Amino acid sequence: MSADVALSCRDLRVVRPTSGFTLAVETLDLHRGEVLAILGPNGAGKSTLLRSLAGLEEDADAVTRSGAGAVTMVFQRPAAFSGSVSHNVRAALLGRELSRPEVDARVRESLERFEIAALADRNAAALSGGELRRLALARAFVLRPGALLLDEPFDDLDAAGQASLSLDLRRAIEETGVAVAMVTHDLRRALLLADRVAVLLEGRLVQADRRDTVLDHPVSPEVARIVGMSNLIPGRMAREGASRWIRVDDAHRVPTDVETPDGAEVWAGIRPEDLKLDVGRGEGEPIGKGRVRSVVNDGVAVTVAVEWAGIEMRTVLLAGRGLARSISAGDLVSLSVRHDRVHAMPRGDGVRQASGA
Amino acid sequence: MREIDAALILEITLRTLAVCLPALGAALLIGLPLGIALGRRRFRGRGAVVSLVNAGMGAPPVVVGLAGALLLWRSGPLGALGLMYTPGAMVLTQIVIALPFVVGITLAAVGALDEDWEMQVRTLGIPARWRLWLLLREIRLGLLAAVIAALGGILSEVGAVMMVGGNLEGETRVLTTAIMMFTQMGEFEVALGLAAVLVGLTLLLAGLLTAVQQGGRA
Repeated sequence: MSADVALSCRDLRVVRPTSGFTLAVETLDLHRGEVLAILGPNGAGKSTLLRSLAGLEEDADAVTRSGAGAVTMVFQRPAAFSGSVSHNVRAALLGRELSRPEVDARVRESLERFEIAALADRNAAALSGGELRRLALARAFVLRPGALLLDEPFDDLDAAGQASLSLDLRRAIEETGVAVAMVTHDLRRALLLADRVAVLLEGRLVQADRRDTVLDHPVSPEVARIVGMSNLIPGRMAREGASRWIRVDDAHRVPTDVETPDGAEVWAGIRPEDLKLDVGRGEGEPIGKGRVRSVVNDGVAVTVAVEWAGIEMRTVLLAGRGLARSISAGDLVSLSVRHDRVHAMPRGDGVRQASGA
Repeated sequence: MREIDAALILEITLRTLAVCLPALGAALLIGLPLGIALGRRRFRGRGAVVSLVNAGMGAPPVVVGLAGALLLWRSGPLGALGLMYTPGAMVLTQIVIALPFVVGITLAAVGALDEDWEMQVRTLGIPARWRLWLLLREIRLGLLAAVIAALGGILSEVGAVMMVGGNLEGETRVLTTAIMMFTQMGEFEVALGLAAVLVGLTLLLAGLLTAVQQGGRA
């Protein structure tokens, strides 16, 4: 195991005979100071994987730990011990060979790290959901763990709470160098922290790589949907002179720079933020016009659904700016995309096992 | 009518405590681990065991006394121990009476803990004995309820201790058996005095435990 790997998993297999579910992971490493977000739909095995890494599943012998630091986990619904906030954090150090001043110093440091020092004497049962989550993190960090496993760490928090907690968590990770694996079904929450992304489908790790690699180059349409590449267009590879295209039908095509043989059937994948409305600004190559089907404005972003080549495409605009202020359903808009922002995935390919992480 | 004899009342009261408190202690010693194990573990037949415990909480003490008497009688299986009509026999039957309360209420308290609680403690790497300490601390209000229920049950119990203790003066006479005897003798003042002590004792112990319980909730 390399020196910067805090937790390593090889040939992990967990079988649930009653449901027929099997989790099978060949290789997964957690690196120090790095956050791995494990994404997947409900029932994909995310929590089972996390529990296996935590040693809570019988097959956890497939998981090896490096010498430095414990492995601990913060659950989706953190359990508080009865008593004060301070008692809860202190309890994690029970039975350890530490002097009282050392325990006091570590508890204080951990409470301050997650900005709950002012709540030290408050009964943990009286905490809000966000405060309880901070308490659970303070209790985990007081152990100075080598690896930290987080199950839906931002669940039930509003956007401001998520942003605030992610900043504190990021700082704590950088200061301590802890390796973090985080399970979530929500891409936006994953991206608050993730350096690397792993995608689980039906108990199998289908892709694990640097965050941007997974976001921009998903290995399959299933992964593409999970990582937010929601515009998936069936087409066939074609070349015209030096330009490469994915041809959808006689009237529609999208540019690409993917080196796939001509005639190959592919899925063209375009992230919503890469699909541009309004061609006047020189962003990308025009791909034709589409009819706006719906516009949803959440105050920060405007999600626009546009019908193009019989397919519903989605794009995102910043709320309150330019076209976002005037666009409405029924409008005819011009679409464009940069050729290097169009990903191609082979069609008819099943779920594939990732080669490693 | 006999006058109230303070020394007699004190002697009977102390003997009552000398029988009840060891019985309670033993019931806790046996019942706590059983209750915790039943509350935490899932195994085949668990439902039947839990039903048995629940039935035990409602079992008539006089039947427990009869069973104890049959076992401890000179010709019975445990007759050789020579415990019949001794405080030891009373302690044994009271353990049997108190045990279902301790086991039943403890397992309910453990069962009421959040499912993730134990896993959370495990993932913090807390050593086993400290995990047990945390668990007992967590269920302490339930434990106090078990103590109150068990103590109330054995302090006020009369049938079983009469059957295996025999209400022998200076040996096995306790508050409940003495009250019954003095009432049958028409010595109502003594019976009332003893009854006042029994009620006072019950209220005092229950009050103390409740104070601790309420303090623990704060």
